[in-house]
Amino acid sequence: MSMNNKGGSPAPTATNAAATAGASGAPGPAGRPTATPAPAAAPKASLSANIAKFRELGLLAFIVILAIGVQLRNPSFLTWENLNDIATNTAILSILAVGMMLVIITRGIDLSIGATLALAGMSAALTVKEYPGLSPLVAVLLGVGIGIVCGAVLGFLVAKINILPIIATLGMMNVFRGLTYELSGGKWVSAHQMPDSFKAIATGKVLGLNNLIVIAVVIYIVAYYFVNHTRTGRQIYAVGSNPDSAEVSGIKSGRILWLVYTIMGGLAGLAGVLWVAKFASAQGDTASGYELSVIAACVLGGVSIAGGSGKISGIILGSVLLGILNNALPMINVSPFWQNFIQGMIILIAVLINAVVKRGIDRNNLMRRRI
Amino acid sequence: MSEFILELKGITKTFPGVKALDDVYFKLKPGEIHALMGENGAGKSTFIKVITGVHAPDEGDMYLDGQKVSFRNPKDAQKAGIAAIYQHVTCYPDLTVTENIFMGHEKIAKGTKRLLWREMHEEAGKLLKELGASFSPKTLMGALSVAEQQIVEIAKALSVNARIIIMDEPTAALTNNESEELYRIAEKLRDQGASIIFISHRFEDMYRLASKVTVFRDSKYIGTWGVNEISNADLIVAMVGREITQLFPKKEAQIGEELLRVEGLGKTGYFADVSFTLRKGEILGLTGLVGAGRTEVCQAIFGVERPDKGKIFYKGRELAAKSPLHAMKQGIGYLPEDRQKQGLVLSWEIGRNITLSSLEKMSRRGHLNTRKEQDLAKRLAEKVSVKAKSVFDLASSLSGGNQQKVVFAKLLTADLDILILDEPTKGVDVGAKSAIYEIISDLACSGYGIILVSSEMPEIIGMCDRVAVMREGRITAFMDREGITQEAILRASMADAAPQQDQQRWA
Amino acid sequence: MEPRLLQNKRDFSVKGFLLQWEWMLVVLFLAMTVMNINLSEYYWNFDNLRDATMSFLDKAFIVLPMVFIIIVGDIDISVGSIVALSSVIMADLYNHGVPMPIAMLICLAVGTLCGYINGLLVVKFKELSAVIVTLSTMIIYRGIAYILLKDQAAGKFPDWFNFLGWEYVGGIPFILIAFVVFAILFWYLLHKTTFGRKVYAMGSNLTASRFSGIQTDRIKIIVFTLTGLMSAVCALFLTSRMGSTRPNIANGYELDVIAMVVLGGISTSGGKGRMIGAILAIFLIGYLRYGLGLVNVSAQTLLIIIGLLLIVAVSIPKLKLGKKR
Repeated sequence: MSMNNKGGSPAPTATNAAATAGASGAPGPAGRPTATPAPAAAPKASLSANIAKFRELGLLAFIVILAIGVQLRNPSFLTWENLNDIATNTAILSILAVGMMLVIITRGIDLSIGATLALAGMSAALTVKEYPGLSPLVAVLLGVGIGIVCGAVLGFLVAKINILPIIATLGMMNVFRGLTYELSGGKWVSAHQMPDSFKAIATGKVLGLNNLIVIAVVIYIVAYYFVNHTRTGRQIYAVGSNPDSAEVSGIKSGRILWLVYTIMGGLAGLAGVLWVAKFASAQGDTASGYELSVIAACVLGGVSIAGGSGKISGIILGSVLLGILNNALPMINVSPFWQNFIQGMIILIAVLINAVVKRGIDRNNLMRRRI
Repeated sequence: MSEFILELKGITKTFPGVKALDDVYFKLKPGEIHALMGENGAGKSTFIKVITGVHAPDEGDMYLDGQKVSFRNPKDAQKAGIAAIYQHVTCYPDLTVTENIFMGHEKIAKGTKRLLWREMHEEAGKLLKELGASFSPKTLMGALSVAEQQIVEIAKALSVNARIIIMDEPTAALTNNESEELYRIAEKLRDQGASIIFISHRFEDMYRLASKVTVFRDSKYIGTWGVNEISNADLIVAMVGREITQLFPKKEAQIGEELLRVEGLGKTGYFADVSFTLRKGEILGLTGLVGAGRTEVCQAIFGVERPDKGKIFYKGRELAAKSPLHAMKQGIGYLPEDRQKQGLVLSWEIGRNITLSSLEKMSRRGHLNTRKEQDLAKRLAEKVSVKAKSVFDLASSLSGGNQQKVVFAKLLTADLDILILDEPTKGVDVGAKSAIYEIISDLACSGYGIILVSSEMPEIIGMCDRVAVMREGRITAFMDREGITQEAILRASMADAAPQQDQQRWA
Repeated sequence: MEPRLLQNKRDFSVKGFLLQWEWMLVVLFLAMTVMNINLSEYYWNFDNLRDATMSFLDKAFIVLPMVFIIIVGDIDISVGSIVALSSVIMADLYNHGVPMPIAMLICLAVGTLCGYINGLLVVKFKELSAVIVTLSTMIIYRGIAYILLKDQAAGKFPDWFNFLGWEYVGGIPFILIAFVVFAILFWYLLHKTTFGRKVYAMGSNLTASRFSGIQTDRIKIIVFTLTGLMSAVCALFLTSRMGSTRPNIANGYELDVIAMVVLGGISTSGGKGRMIGAILAIFLIGYLRYGLGLVNVSAQTLLIIIGLLLIVAVSIPKLKLGKKR
């Protein structure tokens, strides 16, 4: 049994709940600033504690309800073609969300991924434009490589120089974006300049499934294995959960941070190539602001901004929900100009709900102290 | 093979400005529970950190099984079979119990390096079962109580096959039942051949568990005795080293009218039914174990947190302080428990720290008069005799005692009648301690009503006119000056007795 | 107690005085000026410099309160969006027949409200960081601007509105006069009042500040609200200069503003830095842009330069600390 299922939600059994409630001692208020009690399924669990438990079910239910609602308004929603479209769009979003989840688990944030994505995508596009005979695999590797370099630079700034992630990524975002413009000389690389083999990255199929979806699923599996079944993966959680203890346990936090930003960069580079292949165009402002969607997907999927918790299953659901929303809103005649607003509200409401739920859980724990 | 599993000789450790350990000795036999006792600041914690490789000693030698060893880091000590369970549990609240136990020495498959979850869960489950714990190893650490988290820490020590287990004040935040559980575990470990160093300043722990006791005082080694060889009184003298009355220059203050009356104060999860009164010139002690809810009560009176129940009367008028500012405007001041985090802006000058809570007094329509500010700061810093060159010295450059004096000076800037002092001598060296007692005593004489929160028995006994003892969020006993004894306080703070019913008699 | 006399004077160290960050900015400023003069013959010209000043001062209005936010230990990345929203609402109202002066007042009110909401969220939900709160309001505020104006421009303001961004009073640009007035106000507020002292205290140790009777929540809300208000002031000047507005106006301003504050020596970990540094940084970055623009360095390259400048500015103090350890 993997413990991943316990990641963000309480995982007690009914029997131990009673024992815990009985033995709960006097509070140690100043002693454990980082220790935030999670619930142990007290018999009278509060509503918010239940929400935390069933977050993913709720998310799933919401997705189903949303899909049914949209389908009633516009029957062309649940068609194979449209679903495929949603899935391919979601694939890119969720690949990025995997990286962002790791970053957020370590209490960081990365605002530069839209720019990294554009830089990697543009480099790949320019390369295949110049050498049309090149294998698409080389283009992908090139993109990933550029992403890794970008991420490693960020990781260096955050882990070694100790710059706040928000500041470091805000600054480097502009640098990467500027480099993209410089590379392209302000021009687009459009569909007819790209060889078919390159565009086929996004249209090709493996076992009847679109490449993008296959790639995304492979990444989920690898990431799942990495965060749950390797020592390094668990150390990422440890660093986010309690950085001080991590040092004492002999975990090299700096190295973990560096690794996390590098992975994020590599995934952004990969996503850049996929993006450019899918939309068959590379522009200076490709994916501008896309980092916000990615953060939204993570927050929706239950990744805690305070660090230490987040699961792959959660962010997949979060990404799917966002993907459906982005696809469905135009279909039910919501103006695209509402998109920004809706996305912002989703992030805000999701983090507010997370906060309120957490408070409910804490209050619940206090009640169990019998004082 | 030596008779002793662990032996330390002539250990000395100096930190900038403080001699934390001065020529200290310690001998531990296999299968022994050895109590290490001393007041706060006696050097116990530093000593532990030397054994566990956190600090390297400046002088002295350490022998393990008769072999001389020197640890460069905690990993070395761990490999040698030494594990420590610290007073404040350091854990990963978002991770499971299993992970907390195995962090740093996970079981991984050969070749693939995969984590062997099933094996780890199984072993964790086995360890927990051995320790008599009833929670699953898959529970999140953050969902456990402090006592349960401590059991996990012990399991962690067992999982690395520690032969020497150090427990640093493990019972400080536990109830009687939980302590009993811990004793049982410690005895079991001993019977299995482990040696345990048990640090505590509770006599009860020592009598219940240990066969030997070693006492440190003021960073020095005082002696080692068999627990049955030394009387309680001698042990106290060994720990305190002086007649209590000498240390405490308590002057008799004129006790006047009632300043504060608290009735049935409660806050869910922290404290309940707290009632007491405070008079002018009186020093009311508030004691009990760490985590008994003392600090929370004080902070509720000071307006940091709002109580859910009960009333507070200040000079006969009902007062519900909405914020610290509101409380201070009424005349209630609070000296926080953690002066570095709550009391001072360490990166600031002494003077600015002193005036921080009364800026309005030195300003007109928001404009700050720095001349006036500096004069006031200087006057008050001199009044509490802060040892510094000028008020422009940084607070971070001062010793603990002098930092605390700065916080006192800060309280004196406001027009207050009531001072709530939360562990005012914590982490303060002996010399500065008596200076602080003198300040407190003078303040009481000049008419302040003072609530003195303290875990240190001698301090409570030496300074207070009356004492309220708290346990698990409730006041369990009141004692007046004649009735205050160490035993009575211990009984009230430990015993699982019903809370005192007739509090009104005292309040 | 034996009274101990403390000295009355502060130790003065020449080295400490000279090692202040602001001197480095002055040196940088001079170096930049020399470089620009050598790069282009058009740089050292009073009229040109004056007009250049008018073109970069709009965002300087936001730098002033942002200094407070960063000293208090928070951050606000929604300022660009507040500029856009207040500007768009003003234009929209005016185009729907609301008199311009009233539209301008509403612009200020909208900015203030946006800032107040930021502050309220930050204070009421302490478990969230200001980063995530202002990140979401950044998207929301600009989202509302898009909803109102779609992808269009709105403008055709009355002629007198141009005054803000284009006119001179006694040969001095009005925007410069306005900035100087605000700069003095904010300098005074930060360095000479109890409010400023409390802001520093909160940035250095929030808990100790609360325990010292400082109403930390109130001060945070005020600081965020001021930032909203000043973003709206920026919106007035910026809209006047542009002559029209779009929902994507002031895109990326948060970066410029934060870069200026950080370059000005205000520490992102709170509690440290001075207003004069930030003001120097405004002019340093402004004239650097102008000078490089004169020799046809593209906007994209400037983007890279500003980004790198931000990174270097935050790195230098950290590196110095690292060596000490």
